[in-house]
Amino acid sequence: MTTTTAPTRRTWWKTGIGLVLTGLMLFPVYWMINVSFTRDRDMRASPPHLFPVDGTVEGYRAVFDQQLPYLGTSFLVGLGTVALTVALSAPAGYALAKLRPPGGRALSFLLLTAQMIPGIIMAMGFYASYLELGILNTLPGLILADSTLAVPFGVLIFTAFMSGVPDELLQAAVVDGAGRLRTFWSVVLPLSRNAVVTVSLFAFLWAWSDFVFASTLAGGGGHQPITLGIYRYIGNNNQQWNAIMATAVVASVPAAVLLVLAQRYVSTGITAGAVKD
Amino acid sequence: MTATSRRRCLAAAVATLVALAGGACSSADEPSGGGSYLVWDPYPQFADDSAWVALLRKCGEGAGVTVERTGYDTTDLTNKALLAAQQGNSPDVLIVDNPVISTLAEAGALTTTDENKLDVTTMAANLLAAGQREGRTYGVPIGANTLALYYHKEVLAAAGVDPATITDWAALNSALTKVKAKGKKGITFSAIGTEEGSFQFLPWFWGAGAQLTALDSPPAVSALTLWADWLRQGHAPNSVINNTQTTSWQEFATGDYAFAENGTWQLANAEKLGFGYGIIAIPARAGGPAPAPTGGEFVSVPVQRDTGRYATSRQLVTCLTSADNLLATDTTLSYVAPVTAVQDRQVAADPKLTVWVEAVRAAKGRTGDNLGTRYPKISESLWTGVQSALSGAKTPQEALAAAQRTAG
Amino acid sequence: MAATVPPGYRVSRAGRWSAWAFLAPVTGYLVICYAYPLYRNVELSLREYTVRSFVQGGAPFAGLDNYRTALADPTFGPALTHTLVFTVASLVLQFTIGMALALFFHQHFPLSRTLRAVILVPWLLPLIVSASTWSWLLNSDAGLVNAALGVVGVDPVHWLTSPRWSLVSVIIANVWIGVPFNLVVLHSGLQAIPAELYEASALDGATGWQRFRSITFPLLRPVSAITLLLGLIYTLKVFDLIWIMTRGGPADSSTTLATWSYRLGFGNLLPRFGPGAAVGNLLIVLALLAGLGYLRRQRRQQS
Repeated sequence: MTTTTAPTRRTWWKTGIGLVLTGLMLFPVYWMINVSFTRDRDMRASPPHLFPVDGTVEGYRAVFDQQLPYLGTSFLVGLGTVALTVALSAPAGYALAKLRPPGGRALSFLLLTAQMIPGIIMAMGFYASYLELGILNTLPGLILADSTLAVPFGVLIFTAFMSGVPDELLQAAVVDGAGRLRTFWSVVLPLSRNAVVTVSLFAFLWAWSDFVFASTLAGGGGHQPITLGIYRYIGNNNQQWNAIMATAVVASVPAAVLLVLAQRYVSTGITAGAVKD
Repeated sequence: MTATSRRRCLAAAVATLVALAGGACSSADEPSGGGSYLVWDPYPQFADDSAWVALLRKCGEGAGVTVERTGYDTTDLTNKALLAAQQGNSPDVLIVDNPVISTLAEAGALTTTDENKLDVTTMAANLLAAGQREGRTYGVPIGANTLALYYHKEVLAAAGVDPATITDWAALNSALTKVKAKGKKGITFSAIGTEEGSFQFLPWFWGAGAQLTALDSPPAVSALTLWADWLRQGHAPNSVINNTQTTSWQEFATGDYAFAENGTWQLANAEKLGFGYGIIAIPARAGGPAPAPTGGEFVSVPVQRDTGRYATSRQLVTCLTSADNLLATDTTLSYVAPVTAVQDRQVAADPKLTVWVEAVRAAKGRTGDNLGTRYPKISESLWTGVQSALSGAKTPQEALAAAQRTAG
Repeated sequence: MAATVPPGYRVSRAGRWSAWAFLAPVTGYLVICYAYPLYRNVELSLREYTVRSFVQGGAPFAGLDNYRTALADPTFGPALTHTLVFTVASLVLQFTIGMALALFFHQHFPLSRTLRAVILVPWLLPLIVSASTWSWLLNSDAGLVNAALGVVGVDPVHWLTSPRWSLVSVIIANVWIGVPFNLVVLHSGLQAIPAELYEASALDGATGWQRFRSITFPLLRPVSAITLLLGLIYTLKVFDLIWIMTRGGPADSSTTLATWSYRLGFGNLLPRFGPGAAVGNLLIVLALLAGLGYLRRQRRQQS
């Protein structure tokens, strides 16, 4: 492909197409932003206004007055989910990729199928047991539930990636007298930095945008993430759409920034093991 | 690998797991008890700094307890209440949408007024009916709402329609035709495939003289034909099939529509419309106001293992439903109070509420007529039938015949 | 994705068992977090629950009655068909579009990296927001899509409110949500293909399409398989999106097993737990079958 040549007019032309494609993909996002500035009475104007003429910042004012603490909660939940996910899935990935345990294949299959349980069934199960344990509306409770979105995926990625770590390195570690744990901790894990970043990023983003678990398990009380902040604008009979969309816009900014920053690692981390068989 | 190191691995692994589980358990909230009482309400829009929460706190102080309040999205609340009841963890006071009461009562999750000793004598009988089953009362209405027709003054004036003349379906239809001739749009409502859709259809259904026990009766078919014809003739937008009551309100707010079927709760938003509006009762087929369904929430006292808690719960509910507090709450919610004396005070403060108070007095509970827990199934069949007819999948006759079959 | 262990790193039999020490946390986690909800759901589906017995206990054992009820329901056939159509169409389109975009953005041109990152934004939005935005855009009367069609002289389409289009509309929205994920995974797969391979084939005078067929596609097969499998898992259980956009209607025209299960169990004032849980379990079985099929195919390819 055209990797070696310096940017020419031809590649700028591609940038043009790229912009158009991105624009198409992001149009609904633009629409969300547009709605977030729209007055209630113009919401269903026909034909719709392409720009928020007579726009209002009422939605944003509401968000900045009321929503900032929720961002903090979302951040903590995201970090907690990342820690839990990596702690659970990295050792599992190592074992499945390198130690070939009996029944390992079955376990991978179980992990995969565990993901197929519809979210609402999971949420209701969690709700019943959390109610019993008294951990509804707590951060650890939400973190545990959110991690179910990412752990199976994490195991998958770690397994794929770690099977790409050369066996010679592991044997060398054994020769040096390292046990399994040390081999894992000081050889395999550092080599899997990209996979760690990838899994962390995905875990963080899934936790960040989760809505089903949050609304079921943290719907009341003091620890609500930003996606639930939306409920402040959904009344029994009424919804304040500009504020809802403004919340969504504000909520996606930190996530988008993170995504752009971590791009580099993700690209090299996600499938390295799977491609080089 | 040596045995010791293997054991160490295992220990580490187990420790991780325990740390996770333990971390989750150790931070568990204190179970309610002692001086704290749990209140669940379907008003997530009210934050901790709102008047509603302040009122809850005040009532708690009056009863000498702390109130722990949680506001849930209304659609989740039925299931959460049922699950909580199953686990024996119900809140002390539960505020829910009125048709839910009969379901929770059927589940045995709510106490009756015999058990909790609440006084409901001042409550309007037609509103209280939604909380009654087989002669027992399971809750107290905290406020009521119902449906009427909002109209756009200028659009009607331009079309030469006098809103006061719209007292039957024929007059409404001719008004719609005149409005359309002027290039404006007719009417918008919500026919979505949920309880909201049935709620909006009922005034026409009842207004035609139909009964919920016979969904395929000729009057019922005539009501659905009225709606289907509006869509076919372009008097109502096709989007009504997917409209929630909020979406339908947004359509009306564009100023293009002559009429909108909507509820009491839109009054605050109505003041923000950029045009003059008025309100008339929904006409019955043969004339006069059609009975509209009652909306609004009930305050109930769920069953507790410790029945000694009911006394305090009663104090809380009595405080929440006292005249002054009802007035304050119903004003914030744009609801009509369930007590006649308070309704009069509401009208005195804002004469525009007169139409609504009258509508609420004429309104009918959905779970009334002793339908109770049969209502949910009937309602689901009904909204499915309405959707089939409006989307053109079936004729009104076929759609309602199918609805009656599934409603059984 | 059980990895094949290359012959170089032999592990003793006892050593292989001790590998379970590393798997213990995740196994315990599976039991705690997944087994209980699943158990509950199976239990719900095997008993004759009313709201009363749900709360008070004592629901009689009903065997497979709830499953029979579900299978005999006139909604079952359409729901199954819609589930299959929705899943297959979503997967094919997400994958094709994701692949096309991945190939496009894999070329290095100014801003390619930034644009690729930005294109992922749809994925970050809470579903309630993206689904609502799509119902906004596809609204029959005030939706932008119909307004745009009107400009080029096409009559308005009742995207969400006609039985003919509702399934198409939810597929469109679901594809839009799924493309970014496919793009990320496929793109990183592309990056892992050594550039020398392309250079060699370029020297041989291969065209772009030939290179795609003989290098990119085969080397990308494992990644594609993961992508499709994860896509399958996520698509089969999609429910919020459809629920928010159409409630499965009008007249069941966009009802899938997931939305039907929800409607039975939660979408009504009077929940029907038994049949709802039974439909949910049927969906899980369907997913299991698909997963097994995938594993078999994979094993056959390896051998």
